Amino acid sequence: MSYYFTILSPTDTPLFTHDFGTSRSSGDGLAHFTPSDRALAPFILHSALDIVEEVQWGPSSTAGSAPMYLKHIDKYANCYISCWVTGANVRFLLLTRPRDEVLGGGGAGGGLGGQRGSLAGGRLGGGGGGVYRPDAPATEEAVKNFFVDVYESWVKTVMNPFYNAGNGDVVRSPVFRARVAAAAKKYL
Amino acid sequence: MKPMQDATPKPPKYPADLETSLILPKQRGSPASSLASLPYRTSNPSLHKLFESTASISTSRPSSGSATPTASVIHGSVFSPGSRQNGTGTPRALPPGVSDEHRTLIQQAFAPHVLVVADNETEELIRGKGLEGGLLQLLRPFGESVPGKVTIRDSVGASKIYEDFGVRFVGMNETNPPRKTGGDIAQIEELVDRHLQYSEFNAQGSLVPDYLNQGEPVAQESGKSPFYTLYMRRLLSGQPMVPHETFAHPVVGVIATSSRSADPVEQLRELYNRQHQGDLRSPEWVDGQFLRYYVFIHEEETGDIAKSTTTFDSMKRHFGLNCHLLRLKGQQCISSDDEAVRLPTCEWMSASEELAEIQKRETADDITDPTPYIPESDVTAIKTFVRELVAQSMVPHMERNIQQWNEQVLARRRGLSGRFMSLSKRWTAFGSSRTSSASAISSSNSNYDPRGFYRPDAPEALMRRLADYCFMLRDTKLALSTYEILTTDFNNDKAWQHYAGAAEMAAFSALLSPALLSPALLTPKVRTEKIDEWIKAATYSYTDRQRSATPFYALRTLVLALELLRLRGTAATDDAARWASRILEMHLVGPVGVALFTERISACFALRPGLGAFHLGSRRRKAAFWAVLAAQAWWEQSKALQAEKCLDTALHLYSTRAHGSEGSEDAPPRLPLDEMQTFVYELRTQILGLRLTNAGLGDGRDDPEGDDEHGDEATETLDASPRAHRKSLVGAVAPNIDVGPLSPALERTLEKDDLFEGAV
Repeated sequence: MSYYFTILSPTDTPLFTHDFGTSRSSGDGLAHFTPSDRALAPFILHSALDIVEEVQWGPSSTAGSAPMYLKHIDKYANCYISCWVTGANVRFLLLTRPRDEVLGGGGAGGGLGGQRGSLAGGRLGGGGGGVYRPDAPATEEAVKNFFVDVYESWVKTVMNPFYNAGNGDVVRSPVFRARVAAAAKKYL
Repeated sequence: MKPMQDATPKPPKYPADLETSLILPKQRGSPASSLASLPYRTSNPSLHKLFESTASISTSRPSSGSATPTASVIHGSVFSPGSRQNGTGTPRALPPGVSDEHRTLIQQAFAPHVLVVADNETEELIRGKGLEGGLLQLLRPFGESVPGKVTIRDSVGASKIYEDFGVRFVGMNETNPPRKTGGDIAQIEELVDRHLQYSEFNAQGSLVPDYLNQGEPVAQESGKSPFYTLYMRRLLSGQPMVPHETFAHPVVGVIATSSRSADPVEQLRELYNRQHQGDLRSPEWVDGQFLRYYVFIHEEETGDIAKSTTTFDSMKRHFGLNCHLLRLKGQQCISSDDEAVRLPTCEWMSASEELAEIQKRETADDITDPTPYIPESDVTAIKTFVRELVAQSMVPHMERNIQQWNEQVLARRRGLSGRFMSLSKRWTAFGSSRTSSASAISSSNSNYDPRGFYRPDAPEALMRRLADYCFMLRDTKLALSTYEILTTDFNNDKAWQHYAGAAEMAAFSALLSPALLSPALLTPKVRTEKIDEWIKAATYSYTDRQRSATPFYALRTLVLALELLRLRGTAATDDAARWASRILEMHLVGPVGVALFTERISACFALRPGLGAFHLGSRRRKAAFWAVLAAQAWWEQSKALQAEKCLDTALHLYSTRAHGSEGSEDAPPRLPLDEMQTFVYELRTQILGLRLTNAGLGDGRDDPEGDDEHGDEATETLDASPRAHRKSLVGAVAPNIDVGPLSPALERTLEKDDLFEGAV
């Protein structure tokens, strides 16, 4: 599985971008996007912001406080997007591109296969059928743990008084990047 | 030529100024470009007419001024799908930027079919007028919209008046090559591709007006693409005659004879018998008892009117009131004649037919328009005939049938005993399965013939016809309730094709129904629970559920659902986009369709209004993303103009996004992510290169803003030039014909030709 992680400011400026692969099940921790997928990834993430806003400001699904972790919110083709919103309205977006094998024939060519019955799309998160399910509890939990770790590092980074990160400046801190990578390795 | 065109009853949509604007490319044109595309441009001026449906867009512009999306009206609570009024806006109070065009198109598409047969002498007579297609060709264009208003009474007795009612005249022997039935996605694709190529090459000369057009946000936002409309229209034209729906089954049969025949009454009788039992019989799942309408054609020049009147009177005595005396001139009419009128073009011809027509004209040496002329008196006579046929015979006949079936079949099925019947039918089948063989049960308890149809007198078939008649007469309420009953019945019989058809039409009637427009009745819940279920069931049953998949119908279901949902605005546009992406996911369409529907998804998303100053809940970014995808898809097919249009739409959407930063319209918008910026820049460069290649400036030296990079791009894309396609299509039609001066460029792409022919 390949991941593409971006932190976007409230004005949609990217503050931090990192792409990586899974370290689980003998993954090498490197992203394996096809070139076309990689080129479209920023577009997909950016377009998901529409859904983020809707979920964020729409009627809350959980009682009481608005959650920071918005779970799986959007999907384009085989790319699934999860989101975390910080208190300052900075958006963490994680794009997940599962391996073709776990997509259950949903890829190109085999599209006439088994996943017709479930209408995936929108933010309902019906998933693409097959093996990978973005709304499976295990997946959600892993992504949540990742986001929690990143959020912790993020708060520490933006609180640094010597930099203006988070207020428009791009995050360049190598420590932060290392921590994101560590969180990715640990949970995803 | 002009006044004659003006005299045509239904003026074709090419205003006079269009003709001049179409000549523009010729005035300009560097020597190189004109040489390269010489065979194409000069091929045949009459071709312009065929492409006019899509070509006219470059000059005509949507006039709706209120379509500016930034000044969007805030609808009640349009924000999220959970709120109250979503997707329930009436089609009459359309969201800004939406035209009712496609809704009308869909309503007109489902029109009653009229079968036309004539005896040999009559066909000879009409052919003598210069119409090769005989009586059918003469009548067909006039049926598409019945002149005047047609009053239709619905099942509760309320009269409604429609001005755009039409019928389709169809022939009996549809076996000979240019088949008039549609239903072939590949041909629709090919046809739209031809139109695209044509526009690609003919718009090259008028670069400047294009830029001007594209500068206007109105033209962009309305999301109108003439090619998409064409695609839809061809998808809906020439519906094939199939057992699972009765739209293409004849409602009325016109039987014609003429004053040339020796014994007209006997001729009519013979034709009727042939239709009833002989060689002209319909398949067994079509009810042969449709209304017959007898026409006597009186030829003005040779016929004796007194004799004709006597014959006509005897016809009336024999056949009752459904008779008409049609007075036509028998001589061929030429354009210089007084009162000569061009035969109008058929709008609802099938893709294969239009393709054949294009090919015929492309290969013809004759540069004049081959459309035959007919005298104006004929036009008047035919119009009167059509009007009489529709208003006095066909519509009352359909109304009577609806009433009769409603009382005899539907009411019984709906009533208490009907429910018991259907229940007991199921239970007996279940209970007795031990004693007798399965096949015996299915034949005795269900009306469903295992060969895949219901006999026309079975209650299910009658109910389906009732519902279809209602739908054609636009009584969607009764249609909807009938389709609902039918879905359960077909489901019980496991008649999947029929089930899919009923579910499909149930969804359409619900979406078209004016009664369901009030928010109380069509809540988002109803929409998701019923309509979505129907659409889903229909697509699934059309394709996967049965052995012989019918992707054409699945596509039709999705496209119409998408359009009807889109018209409802707000949250329904999300659903519309979802169905559209489903088309892509299911691989129902070819490359042209993929690009068109990608563009359409973008248009659906763009329609959704935002709320408040931040436009929260809008789908601007999604729309922009899909527009970029569409631009890429067009570029891959070497359609530079379309690609550029999409890319401009995308950039416009990106730039006028939220936060009110619209001051910087003039400057190229800065995309939020650098990688996006690079991607778009590269795409733009490639498109520009492609466009120059298409314009015949492939070497890049004449490139006005060109640097070396552009030149490289241009040569890279040279192989994919549409010229190759275009040429190959001409070659595919008539390989032996010498098509004008061949340029070296055409020679070079010879291998490609072979490939392409193989693909066809």
